[in-house]
Amino acid sequence: MSEKEPSICEEKNYNTLFHDYYESATKYIYYKCGDLQQAEDIVQNVFIKLWKLCATISFSKAKAYIYRACNNLFLNEVEHKKVVLKHQKTLVQNIDNESPDFLVEMDEFREKLMAAINTLAVREREVFLLSRVEKKTYKEISEMTGLTVKAIERRMSKALRELREQLGKEIKV
Amino acid sequence: MAEHYETDETFLARWIEGKLSDEERMAFEKTEAFKEFELINKQAQLLSAPSIDAEAAFQKVKSKLQEEKPTKVRSLRRWFAVAASVVLLLGLGYLFTATQTHTTAIGATQTIALQDGIEIHLNSGSSITHKRFFWSLDKEVDLEGEAYFVIEKGNDFAVNTSKGQVTVLGTEFNIKDRGVFQVKCYEGKVSFTADDTDVGTILTQGEQLLIEKDKQIEESTFEAQAPSWRNGISNFEEQPLYLVLEELTYLYPITFESSTVDTDRLFTGSFTHNDLETALKTTLIPMGIRYEITSTGNTIILSEK
Repeated sequence: MSEKEPSICEEKNYNTLFHDYYESATKYIYYKCGDLQQAEDIVQNVFIKLWKLCATISFSKAKAYIYRACNNLFLNEVEHKKVVLKHQKTLVQNIDNESPDFLVEMDEFREKLMAAINTLAVREREVFLLSRVEKKTYKEISEMTGLTVKAIERRMSKALRELREQLGKEIKV
Repeated sequence: MAEHYETDETFLARWIEGKLSDEERMAFEKTEAFKEFELINKQAQLLSAPSIDAEAAFQKVKSKLQEEKPTKVRSLRRWFAVAASVVLLLGLGYLFTATQTHTTAIGATQTIALQDGIEIHLNSGSSITHKRFFWSLDKEVDLEGEAYFVIEKGNDFAVNTSKGQVTVLGTEFNIKDRGVFQVKCYEGKVSFTADDTDVGTILTQGEQLLIEKDKQIEESTFEAQAPSWRNGISNFEEQPLYLVLEELTYLYPITFESSTVDTDRLFTGSFTHNDLETALKTTLIPMGIRYEITSTGNTIILSEK
């Protein structure tokens, strides 16, 4: 006999789901729409809905439900904006001990990289950012988007080729 | 020569995840493009999304849920509960108080069989009312008019009349509650308790009691197997004529115009329930009364010969 699943209607379990998936789901939607406020609203609405439907959704299906519901809500919102990304400066300085010239060059390069990312189609942009920025595996991205791993790999490869096409001439090797 | 990363549509994705074979990877690392891809990959990994305050969002969602629940979800549930209780109470009230009435028209009789072997034969122009549900808990009927009761032994049965209550324990008896009040016991034992007394009058087989107008209770005996009305005949022994006329109006759809006639005279005899003409002849002619039926057929005008 299978173990009885925890109920989402129990506040403790609901809170766990919120803390586990809120941020991740919000970033996912942000990478699609480029509007953080909109992304937060969508995900918050999904979590409100999740509480109301707590009796009808099993705990193990909650993760899939959250991403799918976010995605569905987002499809209704038409506008796609540019994603604004931050640069983790501290990390860079610790890793690299390069010349000031190089650092300036890299700063410029990252600006161009961000611009290039925003020229990607949304379907490639979201996969690329989930993989590179959120460090999700293709399998995890597949669970979030409902696409196959193969489809994720195709989008990822295409994103990389397009980014190189735009940035190749900027890179002095 | 076309490179793998251009022809194989998952090649770069696999490189990112470190899933290329050593051979593929070494060949790829020798290409011009490799360094560009590697720079893109490295730099992209140093980017991050704007920070998200999950705790603030959590509080926001919680407060929204708090707002919605008591006002919408709960109050609606409470109203449902109130409505359901009212319906339930009304339903229970209905169960306990609902009654059923059987009424016979002029000239018609009806037999009503109730649970626990109680049979009520209702004479014409009479009605009986009993509880619709939980009959066995409260075997009581309200009677107007005349009825013959056949009650199986072991029943605690009562009949409420305009003069008082008749209670029984397995018997056959007739109650007539019209101009005259009469209880006749055909079998077993019945008890009559007038409304204004606590003392019951007990009747056994062949005993009857009579209350004429507001007079005292008169007890007497009779000989009969069943009341005559059950055989389609009304019997009278030294009864005032007005009672006979009244009885006729219960059995036939007629009224009498009798203002010029002395209706206090006593009558002994019987009339049939099946034929108005015969019934009028057998009751009125021996009394020396003439009768005329009006053109509508509903009013009988009486006069002295």
